[in-house]
Amino acid sequence: MKGRAEIHEFVQELLTRSGDNQPLTDQDSLLLSGRLQSIDAVEIVVFLEENFGIDFAQIGFDRDQIDSIDAIYALVQKSATQN
Amino acid sequence: MSRMATQTGLTGKRAKGLAEFRLIPRIETYPAIVSFAQTPLGKGALLAVFGLGVRYFFPDLPSLLTLLLPLALITFFPEYRRFVLAISPIAIVFMQAGSDPVLLGLTLVVIAIGILLYWCAMCWPHSRFGQRPVAFLLTGFTVLIVLAGFAAPQSLPAMILWGLVGVLSSYVWFIAYALTDRNTKPVQELTLELTAFRPLWGSTATPFPKGAAYLRRIEAKSPEQLAVVQLKGLKLLAWAILLAVLQGLWQRFFHGYLRIPTAEQALAMSVHRTPVAWHLCWESLILAFFELVLSISVMGHRIIACCRLAGFNALRNTYRPLSSTTIMEFFNRFYYYFKELLVDLFFYPAFLRYWKGHKRLRMIFATFAAAFFGNGFYHFTRDWQIIQHLGLWKALLNYQTMIFYNAALTAGLCFSQARQRKPKTAGLFRGHIVPVFGVIVFYCLLSVFEISERMYPLVEHLRFFASLFFIHV
Repeated sequence: MKGRAEIHEFVQELLTRSGDNQPLTDQDSLLLSGRLQSIDAVEIVVFLEENFGIDFAQIGFDRDQIDSIDAIYALVQKSATQN
Repeated sequence: MSRMATQTGLTGKRAKGLAEFRLIPRIETYPAIVSFAQTPLGKGALLAVFGLGVRYFFPDLPSLLTLLLPLALITFFPEYRRFVLAISPIAIVFMQAGSDPVLLGLTLVVIAIGILLYWCAMCWPHSRFGQRPVAFLLTGFTVLIVLAGFAAPQSLPAMILWGLVGVLSSYVWFIAYALTDRNTKPVQELTLELTAFRPLWGSTATPFPKGAAYLRRIEAKSPEQLAVVQLKGLKLLAWAILLAVLQGLWQRFFHGYLRIPTAEQALAMSVHRTPVAWHLCWESLILAFFELVLSISVMGHRIIACCRLAGFNALRNTYRPLSSTTIMEFFNRFYYYFKELLVDLFFYPAFLRYWKGHKRLRMIFATFAAAFFGNGFYHFTRDWQIIQHLGLWKALLNYQTMIFYNAALTAGLCFSQARQRKPKTAGLFRGHIVPVFGVIVFYCLLSVFEISERMYPLVEHLRFFASLFFIHV
């Protein structure tokens, strides 16, 4: 659960920084809905690389993988299982 | 005290009312209208109103019917949406190029190549091609242009090669998106991939709205969703018409009544050493900036409105660009799907692969790959007729102003990204008005290198730029 809380906090910070103060659930779409932009997706990628050791150049990148907190957490778990 | 509270309450209500005011009502939020739009009568009414509106942009009846008939089929039989959308682009190709068998043949060849490449990328994902299919596609496209340039002019091989370049230039970014879809889960159906190849609702060389994977995500999945999306499409079309009317009035008032020269005219007079007054140069540039915003908005809104009527809840291409407080934000809001193309096909591949240990350099390199290289490649190959006319080397020389433009844009974006990490300044004036003004000034000045960029050498653009600051060279 620690991973999920960290992810939630990070995404919340990104949303706040872009002026989005609406409530955030783990299922909410982040990129597809337009709440976060491509530049924020880059921040999420760096966050996942640095904190969870995910290498997108290896696994392939698709925005669906990071479109919600649930999706990001699933990716983190999948990556941890594979390692 | 209570009087003060009442006054504050009234002011708050007024401010809230003002913020919620919409020139075009949010009809998709009215339950009665959404319910009505799901009935056969409502669907017919919606299509009729949309048809009347879209007629503003399609004065000829055959083009209008080519768009409206498939949209009507999709509206009444949404279960056949993908099938209708998959065969429509092919049918349109036959209608438009049917009288020219060579063009028709080349178009079908290009579509077949696109499908074949997609199939190869799916079958051999771990091969060299499967890992970098877009890089292979763009390299192949470049080789084709070079080959066409070497072929003897007016010869049969030259005609075929340039014909292929021409058709491929309008399909290449659609094929590129199809190739990037190989990463998505579940794997795309071929019918949906075909839908995204120059779709029914229209596109520029930039795919609107991106590829098939994106279409699958934003597709309406219930009658209620379809009604809401279609009502949003109708609303966007109304907005596009309003902006188009404003565009016409704007032209008449500023260039007709006030006789302010266009930016092209101001630059031409500077080139011919009969420059207009400095304030007219600035006025023409500022007007050109707003005219560009208007024309891109109208074009994008029209296409996305049609896309929404087909049942896909796509984001707008242009969304409040004049509220952007950073150069990066404007780039994102002004021409969203072109920016997305650069990000998806150039920025991410560069960012995920190179300079991982150097945070700042990694960002700069990826931005350079997208805004300088990707942007340059897109426009250079889009204008393939110039390469055909001048030859490759002269066409590159002719592209010097655009290269400068791309370099300046890239520098601006890198600077903006670096500043974006800092906390935003509070307050309406320093936090909003000043940054918005700065962004508009940046893009106005940048547009000096975009106007008639193929017509005059870079030095003439620089001379005009300097004259804006009273430096006469």
